[in-house]
Order: sequence, then C-alpha cells, then structure tokens
Amino acid sequence: MVNPILLIAVPLGLGFIIPLLGLIWEKPTRYVPAAAMVFNLAASLLLLPKVLQRPWVVETAGLPPPFSIHLVAGPLGVGLSLLIALVGLLVAIYAIGYVREGPVAKYHSLYLFLLTGATGMVLTADLFNLFVFFEILCISSYALVAYHGDRAGTESSAKYLIQGAIGSSLVLIGIGFVYGLFGTLSMADIARNIDSVSPMKLFLPMAFLITGFGVEAAVLPLNAWLPDAHSSAPSSISAILSGIAIKAGLYAVARVLFTIYGADTIALLVLVIGILTLLVGEMSAFSQNNIKRLLAYSSIGQIGLIVFALGLASALGVQGALFLVVSHALAKSLLFLSVGYMIYRTGSMEISSLYGMGRRMPVSALCFTIGAFSLVGLPPFIGFPAKFTVIMAALERADPLFTALVGVVLVGTVVEGAYFFRIVQGLHFRPPPESATPARADQEEAPVSALVPICLLAALIVAVGVYPSVLTHYLGPAARDLLDKAAYIHHVLGP
Amino acid sequence: MSFLADYVHYIGCFALVLIGLYIVLVKTNLVKVIIGINLIDTGVNLFLVSVGYIRMGTAPIFSEDGAAGKQMVDPVPQALVLTAIVIGVSVVALGLSVAIRLYEHYGTLDLRKIRELKW
Repeated sequence: MVNPILLIAVPLGLGFIIPLLGLIWEKPTRYVPAAAMVFNLAASLLLLPKVLQRPWVVETAGLPPPFSIHLVAGPLGVGLSLLIALVGLLVAIYAIGYVREGPVAKYHSLYLFLLTGATGMVLTADLFNLFVFFEILCISSYALVAYHGDRAGTESSAKYLIQGAIGSSLVLIGIGFVYGLFGTLSMADIARNIDSVSPMKLFLPMAFLITGFGVEAAVLPLNAWLPDAHSSAPSSISAILSGIAIKAGLYAVARVLFTIYGADTIALLVLVIGILTLLVGEMSAFSQNNIKRLLAYSSIGQIGLIVFALGLASALGVQGALFLVVSHALAKSLLFLSVGYMIYRTGSMEISSLYGMGRRMPVSALCFTIGAFSLVGLPPFIGFPAKFTVIMAALERADPLFTALVGVVLVGTVVEGAYFFRIVQGLHFRPPPESATPARADQEEAPVSALVPICLLAALIVAVGVYPSVLTHYLGPAARDLLDKAAYIHHVLGP
Repeated sequence: MSFLADYVHYIGCFALVLIGLYIVLVKTNLVKVIIGINLIDTGVNLFLVSVGYIRMGTAPIFSEDGAAGKQMVDPVPQALVLTAIVIGVSVVALGLSVAIRLYEHYGTLDLRKIRELKW
C-alpha cells in the first residue's frame, strides 16, 4: 500500500530535481510535473477505498499523535489530493506545449512546489505544518504570477505578495496564541481540549487564523489581489490558481472553523460573508471587458457560493460545498485553459476580439461553452447537481431567512448566466472584428497537447453531470470528515 | 510595575507588528513596504519565542542544568521560529526581486505611480 506521505514527498523531491536536470538537459524537465502528478493520481486512487473505511494516521517521527508532526489521510484529504492531482496533471500536460519562453525549468519546478503545498495542506493534521505548506503554496504562486516578467505580471505579483505576506503573519500570530493556550499544535488535540478554555480567549486566535487563511481563500474584504493575479499570470497558472490554490485556502478556513472550533457560533457571519462575496464577484465580473479578469471575478463569485454552503454548517450543506469545489475546479481550469490559446492566437484579452473564434478554433470554443454552461449551472453539466445540492441544503432549513438567501444566490446565478451567455454568443455567432489577423487554416486550432486536457476536462464535466452519483458516493464521507469533530479526534488520538 | 515587567516582551513584539503594519499601510515606496513586512515577521517571531519562554529557564538542550532538573524553556516555539524565519526571509527575497523587476519596467518604486491594474 502506498504511504500517504509519498503524495507530498514525490512531487517535492521531483521539484528539486528539475533545476538540476535543467542544468544538464532542459528539454525533458517539462515532462516531470506530469509524471509526478500521474503518480499522485494513482496513489490517491489506490488510497481512497482504504481511507473511506478508516482514516490513515501517518506518524512521521515514530511518535504517536499528539507528539511530532503527523498526517491524516481521511476521505476529505485523499479526495482533495485526488482532485489536486487530476487538475494538476491536466494543466501540466497543457503546459508542456504552452510554456515555451522564459526559464522553463524554473516554471515546472515552482509548479510542482505549488501542488506539493496544496497536497500537504489537505493531508496534514498539524496546525504549524498547515502554515508551512500554505507558505510553500503562496511563495511559489507569487513567483509564478510574475513568470512572464511583464508589467502587469510583476505589478500583480507585488500586490499579491504584500497582501499574502501580511495574511501569513496573521496566521502565525494565531498559531502563537493557540500554542500558548493549548501547548500543542496537533489539530485533533486542540479540538479535544477546546472546551477547557473560555470562549473569550478563543475568539482572538480564531479571528487571526481565519483572516490569515481568508486572504488566500479570497473571501470578500481580502480579495483585492485575486483579479490582478489571476488575469496577469500565464493561462496555465491562472487555471491552477483558480482551480486549486483558492480551494486550498478555503480548506484551511473550513478545517479551522469546523474541526478545531465547531462553527455553530459564527455560521451566520460566514453565511453573510459568502453572500456578499458572491454578489460582489458576479457584479464585478459582469462589467469586465477583459476575458481573464472576467473569469477571475467569476471565481470570486463561486468562492462566495462555496463559503455560503459551508456557512450552512449542515451535512448536506458541506456536501454541496465540496461538490461545488470539484465542479468549480474542473470548470474554471477548463475555461482558463481553453481561453489560453484563443488569447495566444488573437494576441488580445478583450472579449470583443474573441468574437468569431467558434469558427477558427471550434474545439476550444465548444469546450469553453461546456465550462461556461457548467459554471452557470445548466444540466447536464457538473455545475447543475452541485448548485442544486447547495440550494437543497439551504431550503432544508425551512427558515424564511434561508429561503430569501437562496433567492439572492439565484440572482447571482442569473448575473453569471448573463455574462457567460454574452461571451458564448460572441464566440459562436458574431462575426470576427475587422482588425483580426486573417485566418490561416493550418495552425488555428490549439495544439494536441492543449486539446487533450481541455477535452478530458470537458468530458469529465459532462460525465459527472450525467452521473452525479459517482461523486456523491464519496462526498458524504468527506463532508462527515470535516464536520464530525468527535470522529476526527477519535481517529487521530485513539479512544 | 510588575505587570509591565511580566508582559514587556508581548508589548514589544506587538508594537513591532503594529509599526510594520503602519509602514505597509502608509509608505508608498515598495522597498519600505517590504521592510515593513520584514518588521511584522520579526515581531511575530519574537511573539512565538516569548510564548514558550519561562522566566529563568535554561536552554532546552542536554546539559548539566537540564540533567539537574532545572526548568527549561519550551523548545517547540523555537523550532517554529526557525522555520518562520526561513519563510520570512524567502518572502522578503522574492519581494525584493519583484521590486527590481518593477523598477526596470516603471523606472520608479513609488506605488502611487504603479497602478495600471484596477478593479
């Protein structure tokens, strides 16, 4: 059986080998991330049936928890690492052909570190270790945003770095408070002893931790960096930032809220923040003319919806949130990837310059349409069962307030539909702008290395949309992993 | 007076964090902002060490005092601080290299003039 620690060790090790390999022979370095992610994908798939029966607690220093740093491979951790490996693999395949200029070996090295950080975050059971992996993720994404070294890229990287660094410092202060209160960093041990400390003392560390992780999770007042960073990065990096990096931040927030604290007390606040993030994200996306900025704002909107679902704090609500995480990771990476070569061919990110691309790049445009429809929540795509679960969970509360909030969520969806349908209509039915370069039939469509991941993502979106039970089968245990504090403590620390 | 003596290190480290935060919020020069981030890091590290500090405790290593059963300070926060220092240094290094690249593009480090991207 594969030890879950290899899910972190293999990409990290290969990430450090890439620069050395690059010194000798640069060409093969671009295949290394894909190879590492194939390993992670296979290992997560092997682990999943086993951890569904019982989470696997890995001791790293030969001491049982709560001593030393340990990993907990539960249904949620392995499920998310599976998602990270899947999206990471497809984006890595895309990047083989897409990333040609600049320090290519460094790109692939940093890309692997980013995925290592995300995988480590979802597997670790130690609060400080969570912070370390969080920093690995953040630092590599600061660098990758500035990969092209152009004006927009460096400027947004600087913004992202300043905000992210302050967020990390807040997390560290929170960890200091928690350690001062409990004398331990194991999340299960903290959760076990949480009732021994007065709620007044718990408020401050919780505020610091959630604000700090919230910067990466891009919830409402903390997301000024996101539209710039996601729109100025190379398209493959935008895909992984939108698909994976935000989710890792959200995972950290959810872990702190549900597993350590038990979120009943501030669930309403989380709910309101989610709704506000959703509305602001969708409204800002509506008024954008730049396609990548539009997709970035749409990410903020979707994050708001996920936070809203988490704030419901019920089993079905968290299940819906996880469903949305999967659906948004697949659909948003598909959108960024398919739009990547359209931007490359037209040389412009303006939406109007993409008109008529449906004829020039039929496959990419079709896949973009699938991704857009899925995000809006049309059947038979994955977005439909995901949004449906969330709305079911909200209506389950049978409270006029929640019914009203569902109304607001649906308004957000309508706005989302409005801007996505506008783009899709432009792609397929409008004539190309007159300034467009004349079509050259031979090299219009994206190359095969890009089409394979795009088509696979589109196929996955349709397949899960038609058979949602494939996924819901795993989401139930994963949601319990997050919500059921007692079981988590029991699994990690023993009876 | 004893309150001050007991908590002076906490007051000091949060003063450092606040000074750093003030610099990040107010200064317009990118290098100064990065110095502010570094000050926040320093304050946080000091805070972590003082969380584990025990008055009159010895170093948490195998030594004569330790073998004699004297009080030792908590070693875990010190290990955390070592990690946090490394992370802080790498963030600052990356920030400075971004600042160099920004200067090449804009010819200035004034954040008021570097604002092509907006909401």
